[in-house]
Amino acid sequence: MLCQHCKKNEATTVVKTMINGEYAEYRLCHECAHELGYDSMFPDFSADFGGLLSSFFSNALPAISGAAHCNTCGSTLNDIKRTGKVGCADCYDTFFSELMPTIRNIHGNTEHKGKRPNAIEYTVNEDKKDQTESAEDKIAALRAELKKAIEDENFERAAQLRDEIKELEG
Amino acid sequence: MSKAVVSTRIRLARNLKEYPFPIRLSADKAREIVDKVGEALKDSPLKFHRIDMDSIPDTIRVAMIERHLVSPDFISEKDGRAVYLSDDNTVSIMVNEEDHIRLQVMMDGFELDKAYALAEEVDNILSKKLNYAFHDRLGYLTQCPTNLGTGMRASVMLHLPALEMSGTVNRIGANLSKLGLTMRGLYGESTKPAGAFFQLSNQVTLGISEKAAIENLKNIANQLITQEMRVRDNLLKNIEAQDKIHRALGILKTAKLMDHSEAMKLLSLVRLGVCEKMLETLSADSIDKLIVEIQPASIMTRYGEDMSPRDRDIKRAQILTERFN
Repeated sequence: MLCQHCKKNEATTVVKTMINGEYAEYRLCHECAHELGYDSMFPDFSADFGGLLSSFFSNALPAISGAAHCNTCGSTLNDIKRTGKVGCADCYDTFFSELMPTIRNIHGNTEHKGKRPNAIEYTVNEDKKDQTESAEDKIAALRAELKKAIEDENFERAAQLRDEIKELEG
Repeated sequence: MSKAVVSTRIRLARNLKEYPFPIRLSADKAREIVDKVGEALKDSPLKFHRIDMDSIPDTIRVAMIERHLVSPDFISEKDGRAVYLSDDNTVSIMVNEEDHIRLQVMMDGFELDKAYALAEEVDNILSKKLNYAFHDRLGYLTQCPTNLGTGMRASVMLHLPALEMSGTVNRIGANLSKLGLTMRGLYGESTKPAGAFFQLSNQVTLGISEKAAIENLKNIANQLITQEMRVRDNLLKNIEAQDKIHRALGILKTAKLMDHSEAMKLLSLVRLGVCEKMLETLSADSIDKLIVEIQPASIMTRYGEDMSPRDRDIKRAQILTERFN
């Protein structure tokens, strides 16, 4: 869709605002949004999350991703990229390795700290904890191997490794 | 000191495991979620009222934004969206905004710990009946990955007129993102700051606990306030600044037409004068309430829905002259 202000560039920003007491929605291109003072005051990730995702995915491996779409809600990786929104809870597992670099970039971290819902708190037992720790070592080793496979342009092996990692992470 | 903090807000994002996120949710399923949340809230000692977005007129919807009870994004869609408000409007639970549940607690002044405690209490009640989408590693799952982890956005509304006048605000803003914080205008994302009111909130939600994020926010807010006070001391010795503040009150007392942005600017200046004991007039608390009252939709819900912008400007001037005289 074209920018509603200059009618030239592709609109990238949706402005939801109130004008004289009425709710209004505008689609603007980056320049017009800036000019009209509608960009968020300071650069932050959420405003341009879609763009951020796209820039990361363009560096990702071509077409070796295991799943084309999420079995639960039908979202494709492209849908998520385009909207900056994830379709359902299961998408996070389905596209785990694809989403991970972006998540790390947004938060600088990928391990939740803090509150857990009551129901889950009681199901964690020590055995399971040990298992996940050793699984994480294994994932780290596989990641290193994956990195090397990509550098060597051995995409077949990379795809294999990627699936293995995904399985462990799931 | 706390006068520079107008209000405090805690928001928790939660989703139900068995439903797709709102972007993939049918209106029927959305309504199911609204009912389930209402059912779960019956166990709360607080009394909640349900307001379906498709059952109220536009002006009331907008007036709810002006009171920070719902977000602008929330009213962009009516079908399958509802909000639960506690009796005193302290707690509001938006259902099917960007996430299935957006639980918000709002309090006057600088009350991060108190507000979080209340949010956690309501969250615990909800989680007894509702099956939250939670990931061992990523925490609470949210539609937008920017909210993963705690799903918590804690914010304080700051009044920083001196930092704004001296142009320091922008420089500070650039550094905040490095500290995992962000600063925005009065009504959140994509809104222009009005009258030197700024919302400071945590940006990072994954890998930092609720308590740590709140402590971090408190520290930075305190530093900003200290800077604001330092600049105020210098600024207010300046006769031009004094003149501006006194004139602002003069205009508020006598004007016959007052548009929204002028009102915000003047009220901001008068609030500064009151906090610095330069002016003897309404208290800062009363001014904060007045700021909500003179918002366009709030005027319309009270004085008639078919008011033109000009009618509102007349009404606004009237309200202000009455209060300040």
